Amino acid sequence: MPNPPPARYRRWHAVPIIQQNWGSNRMGELVEFLRVLMTDPFGFIDLPVRQVITDIVNWIVATFRDFSRTYISPPVRGVMNGVQWGLSSVPPGAFILATFVLGWWAASWRVGVFSVIAFALIGFMGVWDQMIITLSLVVTAVFFCVLIGLPLGILSSRSDRFYGFMRPVLDIMQTTPPFVYLVPAVMLFSIGNVPGLIATIVFAMPPVIRLTNLGIRHVNPEFIEAAVAFGSTKRQILWKVQFPLAMPTIMAGLNQTIMLALSMVVIAAIIGAGGLGLEVYAGLERLNIGQAFVGGIGIVLLAMVLDRITQGLGEKAPGVRDRGE
Amino acid sequence: MIRAENVTKIFGSDPESAIPLLEENKTKDEIRELTGQTVGVNKASFDIQQGEVFAIMGLSGCGKSTLIRCINRIIDPTAGHIFFKHPERGEVDITQLDEEALRTLRKQNMSMVFQHFALLPHRTVLSNVGYGMEIQGRGRRDRQKAAQRVLDMVGLGPWGSSYPSELSGGMQQRVGLARGLATDAEVLLMDEPFSALDPLIKVDMQQELTRIQRELHRTILFITHDLDEAMRIGDHIAIMEDGKIVQIGSPEQILVNPRTEYVAKFVEHADPTGVITASTIALPLDSDKFVSGGERDGISYLHRQDLPNVRYGMDREGRLHDVQLDGQDVPVRRLEEVLEDESARPASSERTGLALTCGEDAVLRHILRSRLHSTLPVVVTNGDGRIRGLIDDPELINGILEKRGHIP
Repeated sequence: MPNPPPARYRRWHAVPIIQQNWGSNRMGELVEFLRVLMTDPFGFIDLPVRQVITDIVNWIVATFRDFSRTYISPPVRGVMNGVQWGLSSVPPGAFILATFVLGWWAASWRVGVFSVIAFALIGFMGVWDQMIITLSLVVTAVFFCVLIGLPLGILSSRSDRFYGFMRPVLDIMQTTPPFVYLVPAVMLFSIGNVPGLIATIVFAMPPVIRLTNLGIRHVNPEFIEAAVAFGSTKRQILWKVQFPLAMPTIMAGLNQTIMLALSMVVIAAIIGAGGLGLEVYAGLERLNIGQAFVGGIGIVLLAMVLDRITQGLGEKAPGVRDRGE
Repeated sequence: MIRAENVTKIFGSDPESAIPLLEENKTKDEIRELTGQTVGVNKASFDIQQGEVFAIMGLSGCGKSTLIRCINRIIDPTAGHIFFKHPERGEVDITQLDEEALRTLRKQNMSMVFQHFALLPHRTVLSNVGYGMEIQGRGRRDRQKAAQRVLDMVGLGPWGSSYPSELSGGMQQRVGLARGLATDAEVLLMDEPFSALDPLIKVDMQQELTRIQRELHRTILFITHDLDEAMRIGDHIAIMEDGKIVQIGSPEQILVNPRTEYVAKFVEHADPTGVITASTIALPLDSDKFVSGGERDGISYLHRQDLPNVRYGMDREGRLHDVQLDGQDVPVRRLEEVLEDESARPASSERTGLALTCGEDAVLRHILRSRLHSTLPVVVTNGDGRIRGLIDDPELINGILEKRGHIP
């Protein structure tokens, strides 16, 4: 009487085959099965991921193309045009002076001086107009990142379940190579600045969400207890205690978002976004290394100025006083 | 004002499972072993009168901080009731309040002071003090004026526009206290408010609190791990051990009659001189150590067995009439008068020429000091001037060393 295989092997999907032939040529069958399992285990299952995603994207594009072009594009384009109009209507000299004052106020006079030098260099290199375009793209993208990301971050901090849902989404948004979602962006929004912006917003939003969530969750529970003891509602606790105290962390998230937006805006040049990125892209295409580098240096300078100023703002945030204790 | 009945808090996945075990008087450790639940507060009952300072004393981990948080339900008790005499709505059971009513209670009737101050670092001192009033919905002007007034009261008038991080620990806690007082809540919950302060500042703050309390007469629940602090501040003291209240009483009752070994161990190192009162240590008049010395003109005389040359005369009502030393009348003065006049300390030869009387509530410290003025026994009288007993050296020494007396 042959014994059935022990229970712990039954998980194998090949077990029924073995059981059927149990007793006849069982040794040979088993050896053959093990050989296939060791040498070519992936032959058992064929995951049609490629096809599934293609289908999904096609379905999304077919379903949402009209929606996105009528309801998403116009506000994004509107804000972008507004920002661009505003920034480009400032005379460059006044612009540079303003950045000096901003840098000084937000951080220190050193940052002010650095901003002056950086923007002057950009101007002298002849890419001022491109810089203005890039800056308006970044400002627009960051505006939408904050507009959408802040509420999502607050929601994540208040509900573990919602954050559990957000986490993988954020991971996907952040780790998918930026090139990958240029394609659906184009399919949904055609080419130009708007799809570039959409891709940038998606790519740059996670830090705002993550760090808003983190900042609010890490507010010392003592402060919250005190607020509760005086009869505050949840909303009052959020706006009077948690949010101001989370401000430094949220500002760090904003800083990261700006940096990510800047890097993505450059990549978005591939699908027709303008500005310094286009300078780089066009330079590379034509093997005009000089032009590409001018664009690249402009981006670096812009990035450094934005970084210093937003970091300075972060340190000015009210909640920072907590750390002084 | 606040009456707690069998308030119980059990932490863990299934708190209810431990309740029947508590009824069987199982200990905290046994319950943890049997059910995996941790007993925070074990059937605490007490009654806090309006206008008194009720101190809860216990070591860290005994559940006192949990208990105080059950009162305003920052922590929800697992079982038991807490009755609060609401100024308008009569007695309410805090454990039965819904979310909204609970918030109103915290806004209007109960405020809190925290061990680590918990001042909001992004707000100025004035705005911190005004926080409770802001939640109450009072206008900005009104709030600032009221906050400034309370800030003046705690002696930080000029600091309103500073930030908490710019203040020392003691000053920060004054702000915390001001914030607690500013809402005009009837009840002030204080969770180890002075534990994080330096010893000298701590004593300052205790005096400050006593001073303010004399003015405002709030009902204060005061948590501490320091028995001396509890005795200095508390009108009544509850002592907690392992989540259980093991004794409640006046400081003197606890000092003189510690009910368990645990309490006795605490009391051993407490300073009795500010707590124990004359009525506790006095040799009572009905003691067999008094010898009657006859009667003359309606005045009956008696003297102590161990001190036959000092005779006390009292009238029919039992009031002190005169004191005689070797048959000569000696002047009789009130203890308080003599102590006020510290400069007039007599030479030691004159100390036998004066008799002192004191009230029943005179504390040991003052009676000791009075020995510099008079070596004759101190006569303890009650409010109507009737003699209650005598305090001589044996009673004083017993009072200090043994913390023992004839307390009811």
